Amino acid sequence: MKNNEISSKLVEGVAVLYPGPYLNQLRGELIEERCNELLASGVRRIIINLGSTELINSIGISILLGVIDAVNNAKGKLMLSNLSSSNRELFEMLGLLSHAEIEETEETALVRLGPVATAQA
Amino acid sequence: MEIGDARRILSRLTNDEFVGREADLTRIGDFALARRNARVAMLLGPTRTGKSELLRKTFDRLFDESGDILPSLYTLRPGQLDDQSFARDFLATFLAQVIAFRRKDPRLCVLALEPMAVTARSAIADDYGWIRAIVDSFMQAVGAGNNSAMLRCALSAPSRAAEQTGIAPVVLFDDVHLLGGESGQDSKSALEETNRDCPSSALRHAFFDALRTRTENTVSPRYLLTGLERPLAELAPADLELFAALDSIRIQRVDREHFERFIHTAAAQRGVELSDSVGELMGHQFHCEFFSARAVLDAAASAGIALRTFVDFERVYSQEVTNGRIGNYLRAMIRDAAPNRRSQRAALEALAFLSEAEEASPADSVIERMILDPNDAEGLLERLHTRELLNYGHRFVSASSDTVLGDYVRATYRQEVLGLPQPTSGPPLLVEKLKRAHGLMMDRYQGGFAARLVEVLARFDSQRLPACLFDEVVYEKRYRGMTRAQVGRSLDEETERITLPQIVEVEEAGGGGHGGISWRLFLAGGFEAGIYNESNEVLWIAALINSSEPVDVESLGRIDERIAVALRNKNSKAAQTACWYIGKEGFSAAATERIESAGAFRSTHAQLDAMSDYLLKLAATDAPPASEFELVIPIEDEAELIAARTIELIARSADFEGEAINQIKTAVIEACINAAEHGQSPDRRIHQRFAIAEDRIIITVSNKGRIFANGDTGTVAGSQSAGARGRGLNIIRALMDEVHFQRTDDGTSLVMTKFLRRPEHQ
Repeated sequence: MKNNEISSKLVEGVAVLYPGPYLNQLRGELIEERCNELLASGVRRIIINLGSTELINSIGISILLGVIDAVNNAKGKLMLSNLSSSNRELFEMLGLLSHAEIEETEETALVRLGPVATAQA
Repeated sequence: MEIGDARRILSRLTNDEFVGREADLTRIGDFALARRNARVAMLLGPTRTGKSELLRKTFDRLFDESGDILPSLYTLRPGQLDDQSFARDFLATFLAQVIAFRRKDPRLCVLALEPMAVTARSAIADDYGWIRAIVDSFMQAVGAGNNSAMLRCALSAPSRAAEQTGIAPVVLFDDVHLLGGESGQDSKSALEETNRDCPSSALRHAFFDALRTRTENTVSPRYLLTGLERPLAELAPADLELFAALDSIRIQRVDREHFERFIHTAAAQRGVELSDSVGELMGHQFHCEFFSARAVLDAAASAGIALRTFVDFERVYSQEVTNGRIGNYLRAMIRDAAPNRRSQRAALEALAFLSEAEEASPADSVIERMILDPNDAEGLLERLHTRELLNYGHRFVSASSDTVLGDYVRATYRQEVLGLPQPTSGPPLLVEKLKRAHGLMMDRYQGGFAARLVEVLARFDSQRLPACLFDEVVYEKRYRGMTRAQVGRSLDEETERITLPQIVEVEEAGGGGHGGISWRLFLAGGFEAGIYNESNEVLWIAALINSSEPVDVESLGRIDERIAVALRNKNSKAAQTACWYIGKEGFSAAATERIESAGAFRSTHAQLDAMSDYLLKLAATDAPPASEFELVIPIEDEAELIAARTIELIARSADFEGEAINQIKTAVIEACINAAEHGQSPDRRIHQRFAIAEDRIIITVSNKGRIFANGDTGTVAGSQSAGARGRGLNIIRALMDEVHFQRTDDGTSLVMTKFLRRPEHQ
């Protein structure tokens, strides 16, 4: 993955986004942009898989909060999955956990949000 | 230069009597030996601290060493201040001392009293020629009535001596303040009254010209000047070249330990029995001033009185102040400033008025009491100020801190101005001094705590101290019954903290007492958060209270009145003030309520001890770490990741484990982002230092330029990231164990510490 890319896929109407190893302002804005595109195209169920995200900085978190609000305002649902213990601690410290739902894995998040599918976005 | 066993030539005190001045003699010696760059130095210090004897001892030591320094000592005298008298007297003295030195015979110094032609004949063969030439030049100038030539000839003699002998003269001038003359004499000419001469401006110019002159060869004379400090400091003309070559050597009164040692030695030499408590009282009452101590011991010896008790001592002292050597000296000092009876009475009026005033008084109100022509009164105040008998500046006048002078003034004023009868038995002052003696000794014991308080305040340097150290009630609740060591260990667990300012100066601001309670006030000035601007300037007022009971609200009110006076006198521009009361036995409930409602701090002596221990512990943990690494990253995208990777490796090498390492990495990233966003670093770099100590890692992230984001709120002032974004500082404070900012001269550093917590089974 290049610095200016984030990967994503669509699984039966549920978008899964992968921010990459470091969620900073750059990737946070890419996530934000992608989510806005998805919401504009009618997608209302989004999972952000943080399994490969080793580090998150405060700007990335702030952008993430904005994304969560945007999805909620669009009457959608956003879940965060595969958090490491450090990231969970960070989110807890900043009160993020009361804003977003957390799931252990992408799979369980997909089950909660809709039927599992294999198509790629 | 050591005191050692050098012979006494000009000095008047034995080595046993001249104590506590080794360091000062060394400093003067360094100047004489050209270890300091300046060629001219002023020896400054309060009156009666022994400056003249320091010069005499210096002369003796240099003479005895017979080395490459040729000492000369000249004391200006009131009767020798016209051009011709000064030139003749100085030249005769200088030549006699040169001859004595070159012949290694100090007895020849008395040749100064002989005609110079006779003196010249005593020179060694190598020196006779040039000394004779100087004498002849001088006599020619005398014959021609040419004062300028006389002065030039005399004052250039040290340079001539340097050229001819290859030895550097060090010329020690005492009482140089006499060159300034007197201003504002009484409307009746002082010359008519006292026949005193005034130095001419030609003499002053010639004197300072000689100080400026350098010889062509490498050996030049050096000059050390001393005298009354106040006029001396104003004497030098506004000459850049002179000031570039001018140094100052400042001395203070000797410390208490040396003074008390002297007291006991001097008492033993005089056969005076002296108890330890009286020795301590003398140190305290005389503020380590030797003249008064010697006078009392001499009087006791002369009368065969043992100084076993306070009464014995105060009796002898009171006699000395009113009718003895001390009184005579102070009378002579006042007479020197006030040459006739009318002005002497006016001087006493002023001094007595000031000794009763608690604070500085407007000059107009003092002048009014003096019942003199206002110009004459002002001139008299200036002369009293010159002699350090009072403090006169910028339209306010205050009493000197010399308590012996205060005692003399009160006793003399009562007797000579008010005409009150003397006691039938016992000296006047005795009752007053006895009452004061007990208080002085209590102050002495309190002095230990005062020194502790000053030391604690001076250590304030932005540390975060447990808040309970400033709250007597909370501290008592938590730590009652614990030992000092137990308290020290427990304080680390305190979460509520106060961030101290950085204190840069501490001064004593007077004190007071009433009904068994006494207090001393200290003003500590500094800055918050290490930011040196007006809005961050802070002033702490600490009241150290000595009371055998909890401080009651009435006493607190009196202390607050004194605090208000001290603040008015200080006229500080500090944006913030903090008040801190320290009471030995704590505070009554009403006093506590008053302090709390004022938002002030209160502590006991026990808390002060605990605070001192804690500050020392914090300082000790600032010991150099085992390993240090430095990293500089540019301010560009994702450069902070390099810092995170680096600290990961370092933390792992220091035995930190997974979760802690992630926390450290996250904190470092946030610190770098913060520095990048808000530092406005001109070099577009972020400097980091990683230090590993035995039980912690300390990370310092620095940038040049403006300060980091607003410390405590974690919000970022004036940036887009306020509010939703920029929670960086909150994250850092949550993830690291200790976080604080350090202001440096060209930027700011954020210092973060993470402690290594070893598993219990290891």
